[in-house]
Parts: sequence; structure tokens; C-alpha cells
Amino acid sequence: MNSGPALVSILRQGDTLVASVHTALDDSEMIRFQNDLVRQIGEVRARGIIIDVAALDVIDSFGSRTLRSIADIARLRGATTVIVGIQPEVAFAMVRLGMDMGQVPTALDLEEGLAYLARLRAVGAS
Amino acid sequence: MRVLAAEDRIEPGMIEPYAIATVRNVMATMWRRDDREVRNRHRVFDPTQPDDVENVLVASEEQLAINEALRRLTDRERQVLLAHEVSGAATQMLADEAGSTAGAVAAQLKRTRARLRVEYLLALDHIEPPTDRCRPVLLALSSADRRRQREVDAARHLLECDVCARLSEPLLDRGPVRDDVLHVTIGADPDIVSARRAARDLAAQAGFTGTDLTMLATAVSEVARNIVRFADNGDVTIELLERPRRGIRVVARDMGPGIADVEAALQDGYSTYSGLGLGLPGARRLMDEFNLVSEAGHGTTVSMTKWFDPKGSA
Repeated sequence: MNSGPALVSILRQGDTLVASVHTALDDSEMIRFQNDLVRQIGEVRARGIIIDVAALDVIDSFGSRTLRSIADIARLRGATTVIVGIQPEVAFAMVRLGMDMGQVPTALDLEEGLAYLARLRAVGAS
Repeated sequence: MRVLAAEDRIEPGMIEPYAIATVRNVMATMWRRDDREVRNRHRVFDPTQPDDVENVLVASEEQLAINEALRRLTDRERQVLLAHEVSGAATQMLADEAGSTAGAVAAQLKRTRARLRVEYLLALDHIEPPTDRCRPVLLALSSADRRRQREVDAARHLLECDVCARLSEPLLDRGPVRDDVLHVTIGADPDIVSARRAARDLAAQAGFTGTDLTMLATAVSEVARNIVRFADNGDVTIELLERPRRGIRVVARDMGPGIADVEAALQDGYSTYSGLGLGLPGARRLMDEFNLVSEAGHGTTVSMTKWFDPKGSA
């Protein structure tokens, strides 16, 4: 993010990265977000990633493809991604468009997303 | 180039029975002053005075252009226009003379003024329009006649014809600001977001809500992205419709290479870049009407409409 207010914030919480998108992103910003996030997975040795897309006005073919790419790359780097905060209208439009999140887990909001990752960890530990 | 927008303000001042030449001077001066004011507004702190010699020169050029433009009207058009603007003859009086109605005369005057503006712009630049289509397009723009603009496909012509694109700038600026139609020029990624925001705002204003807004914005996003990916530049026009019923129409035009196989492009999974091939077929599913016209080498036009459905947008 070179100038102006941050479009996306990426916070670390233990071994989880929480990335919140604050505004509509255009395609280049989306790609930059992807690259930033993927880099940070290695830097902080993240095991879980939560991407909060509640502020995205639209998740179109490019947006959903990028989110899936992030999840795929993260998986290859050993981290699980959960997409949270997809707005009801956005979900409706995505279905109509013919998009979904593929194998990427989704959760209602940040809290549910963290709970999902916690369950995974519990299963992995037992 | 707000010169022409000032026309309405100038007219009342011309009711005085000035000699034709005087009127031309007044018009030239006022148009010029207005133009200069607009140009200088942003440098209020710049004490530099405009060069007088230059202004006199500009004034005489503009005057010549008006003379030339008046000359290009038909005798009848010129006669009625001057009788009305210069001698202050009321439309009703002119109508009685011609055995016509006041409304018809007013409409005729409106057309004449539209023509005068076009001819003035052409004369000012000392050019003749490069194609047969230019004059009808400019005229349709000058008269702010939307139906006519659609008939002559004005928006596409402006993409194709550099001369008209440049000349039409002041024509597009004039008249009341239309709040039911928006143009977004598409050239780079951020424009995709601007286009879908514009569509969403306009649709919200028309009463669209919730899911309908998001579906519309998503469809606009897809067609705008196609322009950036395949054609480098183009534009998206978003227009509110009242007839046959309330709705919103989106027209995306580009001058790109065109789509060789339109049928294939509308199938899910067809993709020429590393997309998912859901752009066009997806946009079609999101809208109620969808039409794609493309010719190899001559760009692509996607027109799509979403109708307002009070039940569906609850």
C-alpha cells in the first residue's frame, strides 16, 4: 500500500493472520493484497489466515478467483484460510454469477472464523 | 470550453433590437469572457493579466466563426433565428407569419441553435468533419436529443472519431446536468471500481436496493474488466429508464479487437486469459436483458438492462 489510508490491514494474532479489507479493491490492489499476504505467511509462520471481506461491495469473477488463489497458495505454505464476512447480497450475486469459494472454508464473521481455526487446531492436536 | 453553455444566459440580453453585427460582437465577447473566466478560475492567486492582443485575436476569430456558422444555416433558419434572437420577435408572432404553431417554431429554433453550435465549432477549428456520420452525431449531441443520439449511435462514433470526440466536449457540457445518465471512461483497473460504484449509486437513486444493486454492480464490474483486459479503453454508460418500465441500462463500448466467436464467449468456461470464463455469461445471468454485438476489428458493445422489481428487491 503505497499511499493514502490503508486499503487492507493485516494483523497477527498468535499464529493466525487476520486480513481485513477496508474498501472496494480494484484488480491491481487485489493482486498486491495477495502478494502482501502470501509474503507475511512466511514471515510470521502463520498456520491460519482469516480474510474479512465484509467491506467488499462486489466479489466478481476476478475477486473470487484471487481469494481462491490466496487460499491455494496459503495451503501450499501450510496455512488454512477462512473467508469471513461475505455480505448476503454479495453471496446472492456470486451464486447468480456462478462463483463460489470452491474448497475454501467460509464463516459468517471474524468470531466464527477464529472458532473454525481453533476447532481445526484441536482436531490436529488430539 | 463552457463557451456554449452560456448561451441561455446571453439570450435575454439580445432581445434589444441590436444590429446583427453588434449581436455577433456581444456573443463573441461574452463567450470569450466566460471561457477566460473558466480557464483562469483555478489560478486566482496568479496576478498575471491575460494578454490583450491575444484576446482581441481570439475575439475576432470567434466572430468569424459565428459569421461562418450563420452563413451555413439555410436562409429560412437564419431568418427565423435572427428575427427571434435579435429583433425579439415572439415565437407566437413568427408562428402566425409562417402559418404554424408556436410550439413548432420553438422546436425549429431549438434545432437551428443546435446546428449553429455545431457549425460554430467546425468553423472555429476550420475543419470539415471527416465522415458522413459526424454531422448527424454532433447535431444529436448539440440538441441533447437522446433518442436521436441512440439512433445514430453517437457514443460509439465518439470512440471511433477523434475529431468528433474533441469537438463534442463543449456540446456534452452544455444544458442542464443530467442526473439520470452517467458516463465512465474505462482505461485502467481503478475505472472498473468507478464504473460499478457509479452504476450502484444511480440505481440506488432510482429505488433499486440490496441484492439488485449488488448484482448490477457485479455485472458492470465484469463488462468493465473485459474492456480493460481486451481493449485497453472504452466507456460505460449507465442510464435510468422509465419506459417501458423503470430500469437501468448499462452499455459498455470498446474499440478493441472484437470477439471472434460471440456464441463461445457467452458459454461458461470460455476464457482467453487466465480467468474463469465467467465474465460475460455471468453478467448475462445477473441482468434481465443482455445483448452483445461484436465485429472483428471494430470493437464490442455490450448492452444490458435490469428492470426494477419492487418485489424482488425487498
